[in-house]
Amino acid sequence: MANLKDIKRKIGSVKNTQKTTRAMKLVSTAKLRRAEEVAKRSKFFENAINDTLAEIASSIKTYKVGGIKSRYFIEPEAIGVVDLIFITADKGLCGGFNYQTIKRVRNIIEEYEAKGAKVRLKAIGKKGIEFFKFQGYELAESVVGLSSAPEYKKAAEFIQASVQDYLEEKIDKVILVHNGYKNMITQEIKQVNLLPIDIDGFETKEITSQLELEPDEGEKVLESLINKYIEFNIYFALIDSLAAEHSARMQAMDAATKNAKEMVESLTISYNKARQESITTELTEIISGMEAMK
Amino acid sequence: MDTLRLEIVTPEGLIFDQDVKSVTFPGEEGEFGVLPKHASLLSLLKPGVIEIELPDGKKESIVINWGHVKVDENKAVALVEGAIPLAGATESEIAKKIEEAKQLVEKASENKAALATVEARIEKAAKII
Repeated sequence: MANLKDIKRKIGSVKNTQKTTRAMKLVSTAKLRRAEEVAKRSKFFENAINDTLAEIASSIKTYKVGGIKSRYFIEPEAIGVVDLIFITADKGLCGGFNYQTIKRVRNIIEEYEAKGAKVRLKAIGKKGIEFFKFQGYELAESVVGLSSAPEYKKAAEFIQASVQDYLEEKIDKVILVHNGYKNMITQEIKQVNLLPIDIDGFETKEITSQLELEPDEGEKVLESLINKYIEFNIYFALIDSLAAEHSARMQAMDAATKNAKEMVESLTISYNKARQESITTELTEIISGMEAMK
Repeated sequence: MDTLRLEIVTPEGLIFDQDVKSVTFPGEEGEFGVLPKHASLLSLLKPGVIEIELPDGKKESIVINWGHVKVDENKAVALVEGAIPLAGATESEIAKKIEEAKQLVEKASENKAALATVEARIEKAAKII
């Protein structure tokens, strides 16, 4: 049986940890609420841009306004180089949140390397960068700080490099992976092919009147929109990932607080037992001493 | 009186959602006004000022750096990247907004002549308020 003083010290330290995890949980809850709010506001833009793209795509399909020839929409025949962009958190202590993304990224790398393609990794978020550096992977680009404070301009700059390379035919595909927010208690991995864009993926809309496009070439309008669409997509992924990170951390800290509570309880029991035991021993000693005196 | 619904959306959220009497957009191929019952149109926008006339005759101006607008019969949805409404309670607030708006436009465009025009428009729009 461990000695009384040791157990007491241990209880104290577990209680302190519990205080920290509880505080972290509260912080995450507050931050999650803010992140959710931002994500909700961004939904308007997402809906609007999706609607418009769907409409133009349908209009081009229906009226055959110029064939779609641009590289944005046509899948290259052979895939040589793939840009893989992935988003992780800058901080840990959020359960399996980062690891899930890392696992998916490794699967994708294996999948494409088996096909003979080269995968270029572009990382956002410290945890992912640290992991792949440690494993000896080469990172084409790595950004720290963007995943904990998403900013539209920086996200746009980041993705533009990939878009340029794609248009110059240096790469043939762009994939974006992040761990996204599903609801307060679940996160899910989201994997999107950013480029080439699957134009048939947009739902076709009933067109009541022919859309007039300005400037006149449908493709130019479409390309300009597509560009924004891609930029926005990565920005939205960042927001989504941040919300998911906070919800994951909230859960992890909640579990940690509960575990700490259980630990304190079991430690208190063993403390009481030890105390009782020492009292019994002392009593026995006194009584046997008295017996000896008789 | 006929009105049309105008929505202006930025990546950070919806910044304008009201019925308006008319609205003028800085289109890629020239400025154009939109009244209710306009034909369907989709246009790219360049840096400039969106001028809005509200049903009560009041005017509002919003400076944008890039975007596009989709006009339907009774609805116009503008998606813009950066937008600064030229409005404020005090003179100094408005002056600050004008400064911000100019910076926004300067970053978006390299064409000096176009820039000067836009800046003049911003000043003008600010005076009306």
